[in-house]
Amino acid sequence: MALNAPLLRAKGADDLVVFDGVQKSYDGHTLVVRDLNLAVKRGEFLTLLGPSGSGKTTTLMMLGGFERPTAGHILLDGKPVEALPPEKRDIGFVFQNYALFPHMSVAENVAFPLRYRGVRGAEARQRVAKALDMVRLGGFGGRRPTQLSGGQQQRVALARALVFQPKLVLMDEPLGALDKQLRERMQIEIKHLQQTLGITIVFVTHDQSEALTMSDRVAVFHDGILQQLASPRELYDEPANAFVAGFVGENNFVPCTAMRIGPHAHALLESGLSLVGTMPVALPNAAQAMLAIRPERIGLVASGAEGAVACNIAEAFFLGDHTRVDATVPAFGGMNVTIKLPPSTPVPPPGASAGLVLPEQHCRIIAP
Amino acid sequence: MLWLPSYATGPERLGRLAVLVFVALVLIFLIAPFFVVVPLSVSKEAFFTLPVKEYSWRWYQDFFGNERWIASVINSVIAAVATTILATMLGTAAALGLARPEFPYRRAVMSLMLSPMIVPIVIVAVGSYLFFGGLGLINTRPGLVLSHTALALPFVVVTVAATLSTYDTNLTRAGLSLGAPPVAVFFRVTLPAIAPGVISGAIFAFAVSFDEVVVALFLTSAERRTLPVQMFSGIRDQINPTIMAAATILLGLSIVLFIVATWLGRRGQKA
Amino acid sequence: MSAALAGRDLARAVRRSARPAQRVAFLLGLPALLFLFVAFVAPLGALLSAAVENPEVRQVLPQTAAALAQWDGASTPDEPVFAALAADLKRANEDKTAALAGKRLNYEMPGMRSKMLSAARMAGGASAGPFREMFIAKDPAWGALETWQVIARTAKPYTLYYLLTALDLQQAPDGSISRVDAENAIFLSLLARTLWIAAMVTIGTVVLGFPCAYIITITPPAVGRIMLLLVLLPLWTSLLVRTTAWVVLLQTDGVINDILLWTGLTAHRLQLIFSRFGTVTAMVHIQLPFTILPIYSVMRGISPSQIRAARSLGAPALSAFWRVYAPQTLPGVVAGGLITFILSLGYYITPALVGGPADQMISNFISTYINRDLNWGLASALGVVLLAVTLAIYGAFLRIAGPDRMRFG
Ligand SMILES: Nc1ncnc2c1ncn2[C@@H]1O[C@H](COP(=O)(O)OP(=O)(O)OP(=O)(O)O)[C@@H](O)[C@H]1O
Ligand SMILES: [Mg+2]
Repeated sequence: MALNAPLLRAKGADDLVVFDGVQKSYDGHTLVVRDLNLAVKRGEFLTLLGPSGSGKTTTLMMLGGFERPTAGHILLDGKPVEALPPEKRDIGFVFQNYALFPHMSVAENVAFPLRYRGVRGAEARQRVAKALDMVRLGGFGGRRPTQLSGGQQQRVALARALVFQPKLVLMDEPLGALDKQLRERMQIEIKHLQQTLGITIVFVTHDQSEALTMSDRVAVFHDGILQQLASPRELYDEPANAFVAGFVGENNFVPCTAMRIGPHAHALLESGLSLVGTMPVALPNAAQAMLAIRPERIGLVASGAEGAVACNIAEAFFLGDHTRVDATVPAFGGMNVTIKLPPSTPVPPPGASAGLVLPEQHCRIIAP
Repeated sequence: MLWLPSYATGPERLGRLAVLVFVALVLIFLIAPFFVVVPLSVSKEAFFTLPVKEYSWRWYQDFFGNERWIASVINSVIAAVATTILATMLGTAAALGLARPEFPYRRAVMSLMLSPMIVPIVIVAVGSYLFFGGLGLINTRPGLVLSHTALALPFVVVTVAATLSTYDTNLTRAGLSLGAPPVAVFFRVTLPAIAPGVISGAIFAFAVSFDEVVVALFLTSAERRTLPVQMFSGIRDQINPTIMAAATILLGLSIVLFIVATWLGRRGQKA
Repeated sequence: MSAALAGRDLARAVRRSARPAQRVAFLLGLPALLFLFVAFVAPLGALLSAAVENPEVRQVLPQTAAALAQWDGASTPDEPVFAALAADLKRANEDKTAALAGKRLNYEMPGMRSKMLSAARMAGGASAGPFREMFIAKDPAWGALETWQVIARTAKPYTLYYLLTALDLQQAPDGSISRVDAENAIFLSLLARTLWIAAMVTIGTVVLGFPCAYIITITPPAVGRIMLLLVLLPLWTSLLVRTTAWVVLLQTDGVINDILLWTGLTAHRLQLIFSRFGTVTAMVHIQLPFTILPIYSVMRGISPSQIRAARSLGAPALSAFWRVYAPQTLPGVVAGGLITFILSLGYYITPALVGGPADQMISNFISTYINRDLNWGLASALGVVLLAVTLAIYGAFLRIAGPDRMRFG
């Protein structure tokens, strides 16, 4: 396809990175990334979220210059980067295994990028010290990477990727090797650094809570296809399709047919039941669709209550901060529905009949 | 003690004992020659009888006092050092290329690179004699070094490739992403990381050249004789204890090279 | 937006985008490849061409060769060919090169050397023809069709003579190919002997090496490491040093005979050196590490729970070992055995120093034909046969084990 650079530049002057129709295949048979169109805004924290093998690392590698797109273009600052080798791209990279140089001290690792930017001597030392202070590792400069804990190594990698003030920093599951507590602390630290330094970060993870915590926007990948690009809240509340709805947070899915009748969107179920809901992305009439309702949005009332859908309680588990109830719903073709209730709510015993309240604004009718 | 599981039965124990005795004998067989060469080199007698009755350094004095032996050592060292440098540079670069999965016809090229290890040495010697003769390289150092380098190359390629298989490519990527040009990344990041493998390969190359007899026999005349050639003609004509002194010196060198290579291998695994 | 690539287009696009990376990888390997072509492949090519080159007769008898190019080969040539031969021989007589061509002709037709020499002397004194009668009067053989058929054949730039000889075949003057007589057939039995010695060495190393590799795998790491060192150390030791040691050990008044006498196993000293037994023993010693290491590396990858599982399923110890463990070690045994077999085929030093006349292998014959007979053609042809056998087995090795199985240490 012909590159229409002026058009693209006009489209977003504050776009730092633009993926334009990018495709990637390693073997010539299967596309690992297919037709990716994505713009990264200056100063934003963008996360690529997706299950294993969905093409996140590949996307990052193409942006970093370590893999070539099979088709399409990547623009950095409005200019195509095909001809730009990785060392000329001025992009910081934090690897999952940190990739610290084992034969250099921490300070030498951090000073490495400065050397190739003509920064030497006292100024280099000063900037290294500042970068290490920034990640709270002042005084560790003389150590070897192997003499540091995982979290400390992670922070050295961070300092090394930030010390030369790149316009963009890429991070490939940088917290994957850390335990849960350290992970959560580092999430906040990285987010904090990004905001104070005003840098742009493209972050890869397959942990949805990490993505929701840190990002300005999240790009959800599945099978090499960008499923949705949105803010965390939008992603949660208005998933574009069933994959996103299921991958980000928990959801109950009921197959249905989408119908727009007047101002209202309806989900027609197999059983003949029709539920009113919302449609984040407009679907054609009579399209195959999914009705998605989050467990914490479902209310449980006495059997036979007005507007409630009849169900039978199957099981209930007390989980500390909430109670989880599984109920069989005849109107959903006998499917099980999961409900999260506040811990104090009384729960009927297994086998009892009850009613489900499905609020209209939380019933999402989305593409399957 | 028999390294058998605790549930082993009586006959099993007996069988294991027999196997252990057998293996011990094989190991003795493996190292037996060393217990011949070293003592005989310090025996005073001119005949090869063991055990040694009287010790003396006379054969070493013979060795170091003989111009021919010394000249052959010098010739060998020069050829081996040149071979080491050439083979290490060429082999390391080749291993770096072959370590990349995108290398075109990788399997075929690898098979070709390794073939000097398996082609009978006499064939290499005769072919080299015929081919180098036309180029005026017979009886010259460059001719011998050319041939020895070809023979040593596979050892460097295999050793460096083995080290590279444990090398983390992300280190190279990190170096590039930090702004270092590819050549700088090689010398400052990759080479230090694979240094143990490269040095092991270099030691192999040195040993190959220093031990090689047949090609040297064909390609060198009397004044360029290497140590192994000198020894070979000695054994052929009239075997005398000076050869045992030479063999012991070669043996000592092998052991030193072996220890260094083993130590490096251990270090390479840790890094 | 562009449509997703598929099928042929996708494959082509992937190939195109992979090209720069391929180029870089290839450029890294290129110096070594070029070097190998000059220092290794070209010499092998020189050997191949030396096995079919045929320069002697053309050099000494250039005019005869040219005149014979038009000869129909059906009957003894006419006067012009004899005149050319006379002119060539006159020059050869002055340059003293007649013996060179004579030696070459003698390979294919015994007696030709002396006929050439006396004809050259005669041509040196003769000034005018007719030469045909002169030659035939000197020796009726010059009138025989067969003589001329052989001269015509040896005057061609290339010959199959050496390769045929190396396979115990001969070409009659009329061009037909047949086996040589039994008493002259030495090369196929030489090849068989070489293969046989290599096979014995291979079997020897597997029999000695397999238990070693097994014990190294199951001993505690500290002991295993020492045993492994004992295996590796000989690998590093100069082949010549080890062969020297065997020369001493195997001598009639050497250590092994001493021990045999002392233990009373024999009543008198045995001929161990310059024997098949000595050769194979020394070769087994030298090859043992090459066989042990691949077996060991395969055994190390077999989980000990395999045998435990077999025992728990009711197999007795020996049968658990042979039916469950041993088959899994086969790749290592095959790789180690093939390496040793390949390397054994090319042995030269050890048979030369430890073997007797009946234990010399192809490599030794090659060396002898060069050093004693200066017969480069036959030496090269034997080299080609040896190379072909070696490469065929190397090919099998690559098929079965792959080039990445070649490791040491
Ligand atoms: N160098 C390569 N050669 C061939 N195929 C590859 C290569 N790298 C990745 N792939 C394939 O491409 C697909 C996408 O891989 P990628 O590493 O981009 O996924 P990911 O989203 O980063 O997954 P993960 O969360 O597991 O890291 C996978 O099917 C993988 O097998
Ligand atoms: Mg990944």
